[in-house]
This record gives sequence, structure tokens and C-alpha cells, in this order.
Amino acid sequence: MDDRTIAIEARGLCRSFGGRIVLRPIDLAIPAGQTVALTGANGAGKTTLLRILSGLNRPTAGKVFWFGQPAATNSPACRELGVVMHESQIYPHLTVHENLLFSARMHGVSEPRRQIHRWLESVGLERQRDCLAAKLSRGMRQRLALARALLHDPRVLLWDEPFSGLDRENAIWLRELLGKLRDAGKTVCFSTHDADFARNCADRALHLHGGRLQEHEMAMAEPIIASVGSSRARAA
Amino acid sequence: MVAKLWWMIHKDLVSEWRARRAWPSMLLFGTVVALTFGAQIEPLSQWKAQISGSLLWLAIFFAGMLAIDRSFAAEREEGSMDGLSLYPISSEAVFLAKLAVNAIALGALQAVLIPLFIVFCDAPLAAHPWAMLLVAMLGNLGIASVGTLLSALTSGTRHSGSMLALLALPLAIPVLLAASKATQCLGGAQIDADCWRWMQLLGAFAVVFSIAGMLLFDFARED
Repeated sequence: MDDRTIAIEARGLCRSFGGRIVLRPIDLAIPAGQTVALTGANGAGKTTLLRILSGLNRPTAGKVFWFGQPAATNSPACRELGVVMHESQIYPHLTVHENLLFSARMHGVSEPRRQIHRWLESVGLERQRDCLAAKLSRGMRQRLALARALLHDPRVLLWDEPFSGLDRENAIWLRELLGKLRDAGKTVCFSTHDADFARNCADRALHLHGGRLQEHEMAMAEPIIASVGSSRARAA
Repeated sequence: MVAKLWWMIHKDLVSEWRARRAWPSMLLFGTVVALTFGAQIEPLSQWKAQISGSLLWLAIFFAGMLAIDRSFAAEREEGSMDGLSLYPISSEAVFLAKLAVNAIALGALQAVLIPLFIVFCDAPLAAHPWAMLLVAMLGNLGIASVGTLLSALTSGTRHSGSMLALLALPLAIPVLLAASKATQCLGGAQIDADCWRWMQLLGAFAVVFSIAGMLLFDFARED
């Protein structure tokens, strides 16, 4: 398989905080267009791994590649990436529209106002367009954060705990959105501690335990320990 | 690049205008310092020209730190520093935008403090207005560049405000010294060679700190 078709690749990724090892050497390849769920208990290192995959944190050892290019923040390659972390990354004293406009301008989105209108409709925030982001509920903030991350039409979406703190209605909406992103050929990697959501929403599930990644067989409840690096060959 | 720089500055100024978190406390602190000095300085009137420059720059530094401290703290509150890191813009541009916003804040502070020092402390700051404007701008740039870099470093820590002032003061001493001496010289009848030398030194510090800030910014903002 050509390197270009691997959206995200990690080679020998390790991360430790002081003496505590959070991630042991991890090899991971996520082919373009795949939806991957990253599961694991609280504190297993899901957020750390997602932050490293997104370039926001540096690994203690190892490298991350986006479409074959070394991952780097504030680089042109960031256009390929949409990232939604636990914090909303929005500016509370700007309106919903201003938040999206700022993001569009930073990414150099063409026809930003039309794109913003389209995404406000998609995430159901048209009526809140001129509300300050500080006044939005948690669910609405999450929708705004998602619109911000997808506004520039990235090929990859990295999403930390999309289902946390959402009510049933928002969770259903989110599941439908993940389906749409999959249909649109986007690569999505999201973390969750809920195995059911992982099974329902992803093509592939990876389980983090003791700093190691284990491949989940989607149909089975228990993880099958496998070299995740081999998934690249399987995907090919 | 210039357009993106402008939008980052615009975003910070709009946010501050609506939140009014940093500027009011900065301006209030500066005004209180100026009025207090004004009330106390009369017995020392024979040394007015000598000490008013130092007092002015100390007031600008400590009041300015209140605003500069907020420049990255606000970004970290909702994790928007992560968002900034994931835009296809250089980290130097992010630093320059923050530097510009902090320089604008210090400029606003100077626009309030300098007239207050002239009126209440009878400080001879208006003898050479254009030269005073140049000194104010260079001192502003020097303090803003040191403060911006260190604000990126301390914003993730507890008690970031006091940490920022503690770390910035020793680094900013050359700027404060050169700015105070230049301001003191400008109180005389004419601008002598000594005065120009202090202004050149101040300019050199401002440029060096700005370039160092751009180069070190990536390391300073790393968690």
C-alpha cells in the first residue's frame, strides 16, 4: 500500500510522565477512510495518544506521520486534520459565527461565510449564530467545536470522548454524524470508554491497556491481543 | 500571513473588549500608582526629573504585567491554545500577534499614565514629545516581548501572575534601566548624545528581545 493511503501512522510511540510510562512502544497505522475507536479505562492513555497523534504533544520516543509527512503543529499539513479535544477550543467571548469565521480565516477557507452557514445548519446552531459561545450549553459547545474542526474540510478527524456528557438525543445525532463522515470517506479516530459505542460506530476498535494497544475484533466482546502494527498489512 | 496576523489580533482585542478582564485592572493600577506618586513627590521636587522617569517605567511594567499575564491564560481556559497550534500558521506569527496585542495594551496604559505623570507629578515628559513617543514605543516593545514570551511559559502554572512578574523583572531590567535613563535625559533642555545612546540601547534591547521571543516561543508554550 502506498504511504499516501495511510492517513495516520505512529512508529515506536512512547510517552512517559516523570517515571510513569503511559504509552509503551506503539506502532499504529490508520488507513484513509477508516473509522477507528480507541477504547480503554479512564487513565489508560487515550487522550495522551490522541494528543500525540494530533501533534499537540511530543512523544518521549517515536514518530507520527500524517499522510506520510512528519506531524508538526503550525504547519501546512494541519489542513488535513480536524481535532476535537475534551476542552472545546472555542473563544467564549466571541459569538458562534465569529468563532467559526476566525477558524475559517486561519485555515484560509474559500467562501468562509457560505461554509459557516452550511456547518451551522449541519450542527443545528443557526439560531445561536449571534450568541456568545460562553452562553451555549455543553452539548451546543460540542457541536460548535465539531463545526470548527470540520469547517476546513479536513481528511482526518481526531476526536476525544465525543459521547461524554451528552444526552440521548445528542448521542443519536452524533452517531448519525459519524456515519455521514464515514460515508464521505473521512478518516475518524475517536476515543471512548464505552465499548458499545465503539462497536456501533467504528470499523475497527483499538483497546489501550497498560500502555499497549490491542486490536479488538469488532464482533467479539473480549480484546484479541495482536500486534497493532500488523493491522497496516491487513488494511493493505 | 499579514491577514492572519490581523485576525488573531482582532480576535484578542474583541474578546478583551467584551470580557474586560485585563485592561481595567491594568489601567486602574497604573492610575493609582500615578496618583499616589503625585501626592508624595512634592517634597522631592528638586529630584523630580531624575525620579519620575524610573517611577513611570516601574508603573508601566507592573501594571502592564496584569494585562500581559492574561494573553495566554485566556487561550488556555477553553483549550484554545491547542486550536491555535493546529492552524497552518507559523508559531512566529502566533507570537507576533500576542506581542502586538500586549504592545497595544501597554500603549493604552502609557497614553493614560504619561499625561497623569505630567499633570500630577509635574514630570518633564512633554519637553520633547516626539523623542518621548519613540522612547515609549521602544520601551513598550521591550517589555511586551519579554512579557509575551514568559506569559507563554507561565500561563499553564498556578499563580501565573506572580510568577510572570517574578521572572520578567530580572529580564526586563535592561529595558527598564535604558527607558528610565532615556526618559530622564529627555527632561533636559535639549537631547544630548548621552540621551541618544540610551535610546539606541533601548532600541537594541527591544529588537533582541523580540527576536529571542520569536525563536524561543515554541519551547515556551510546550506543556
